Amino acid sequence: MIKKLLQYGFIVSIGFPVAFLLMLSLGRRWAYPNVLPEQMNFANWEFLQRSDSKLFQAFFVSLGISLCVAIFTTSIGFLISKLIAYSKNRNFYLVLAYIPYLLSPVIMAVIFQYYFIITGLTGTFLGVIIAQFLVAFPFGIIIYINFWNPQLKSIEELSYTLGGSRWQTFKKVLLPLSKNAIMLCFFQVFLISWFEYGLTNLIGSGKVRTLTVSVFNFVTEANIFYAALSCCLLILPPMLLLYINKRLIFFVEKTKIEP
Amino acid sequence: MARKLNLKKHLNSKTLGQLFFIAVVTLPVLSGLVYATLYSLGFVGVLNKGFTTENWEAIFFGSPFWTSILFSFYVAVTSIVLSLVFSLSMALSWKKALQKGALSTAMYLPLCFPGTVMAFFMFQLLSKSGFLSRLGFTAGILSELNQFPALINDAYGIGIIITSVVLITPFFVILFSNMYRSENIANYKQLASTFGATKLQLLTKVTLPILLKKSSVTIYLFVIFVMGSYEIPLLLGRQSPQMISVAILQKIQRFNLYDIPKGFAMSILYVLIIISVLLLLYFRNRDFFKTETNA
Repeated sequence: MIKKLLQYGFIVSIGFPVAFLLMLSLGRRWAYPNVLPEQMNFANWEFLQRSDSKLFQAFFVSLGISLCVAIFTTSIGFLISKLIAYSKNRNFYLVLAYIPYLLSPVIMAVIFQYYFIITGLTGTFLGVIIAQFLVAFPFGIIIYINFWNPQLKSIEELSYTLGGSRWQTFKKVLLPLSKNAIMLCFFQVFLISWFEYGLTNLIGSGKVRTLTVSVFNFVTEANIFYAALSCCLLILPPMLLLYINKRLIFFVEKTKIEP
Repeated sequence: MARKLNLKKHLNSKTLGQLFFIAVVTLPVLSGLVYATLYSLGFVGVLNKGFTTENWEAIFFGSPFWTSILFSFYVAVTSIVLSLVFSLSMALSWKKALQKGALSTAMYLPLCFPGTVMAFFMFQLLSKSGFLSRLGFTAGILSELNQFPALINDAYGIGIIITSVVLITPFFVILFSNMYRSENIANYKQLASTFGATKLQLLTKVTLPILLKKSSVTIYLFVIFVMGSYEIPLLLGRQSPQMISVAILQKIQRFNLYDIPKGFAMSILYVLIIISVLLLLYFRNRDFFKTETNA
């Protein structure tokens, strides 16, 4: 009984942040010691729908950047990870991939920011995409690396033995078998990019206004209601993913991805 | 002949692919480190006048860098230890509920929260004028705002630790719950109990050693991730002591241009520390970097 109660209490506490942020996003004026905001209506959410609103634009800037980074990392990582996984120097390459993976993205940005300045990439959409790709690509390799196993290699070789060309083997054998790995990589990288703040703010020089940048800007302006609204928008895609397939938002190193 | 040419083409694409990987993974870090080294030694930079070891001496022998590293380490280790205690308790006592039903899905919900959002939520919840303080005031427990304990922007990083624990615990619960099944721990426990092991012995000699050993590298990696976290300490931390990422960024972005070389020196040292830890992890846990491919 106590166990059940604890479980229900835990589930409620997990849902509380979502309810709290939604409540704040509907609010206006919240003087101490009021427990709830004095006004609660959909005015903030209505403002969001206006195409010239900063948040509306930030949402699509974030979406554009995250989609680009996820598409590039997933596709390039897929091809390169196969070469790395079957290479003789695989362990050495994997250690190399762990270096940017372990460094805080914002420290990475501090280190390579100079090269973005001299190439004129700071403060640009493209600059942020490239910077995020440099952080996400090693992560993509780490996701894919355990997918390329001896079983898959023998299936690929069987296809060649049966007369399949490289293109046919790729299209008819490898791609269908890689569906789970590709989806996991795509959504994991999308989330990394979607959640990123420090690197985006530094390389974007505040000009590339994503949702995470907006949260900090609104906090600085002491506009907690818009900050809460930005937070609601930030958790929307991952929650949608959770609804579609919860396994796509969980990744741990050495995950075995079944073909 | 055609086969030979095809093989050559294949080899070339392989080499090119590996070169691309090395370039993307190492060039940004290496070239960045070269520039940061030159800047911190006074060779480049607007206000630099030539070779100097002044910045490095200030970082090596001054306290800000080491204080930040130690504070980051303390926050990371405390957060991970607390998360492990909570997650192991939940994963082991709610085994069935975590496999089926509402809890099995609800446990994934905190993974949807980026550090920025959780930090903002915690600020609104735990600050002196936050939601809990308001509830306390309404319930008559507090008579004024300042009676609420300082949980945010405090000297001990309590707000940062609470936020990190809330973000990390669900991850470890899912990890341990999955591991419990994949490692067939129930079978080992049954075997041990037929030999007369007590409940406590089953926990301390069978379950915990298997789970912790199997997840040891992931736990170490999480310590490094938390040490390098930026958004949470930026919102919930204070000026002193600062976590390392915030400290470095503040030096780099300050209006005082004389602080930039010190910021670069700090970032180089931090990168070197992380690479050393990674190499240590690699040499002590070689199996972690192996798969069936080259086992």
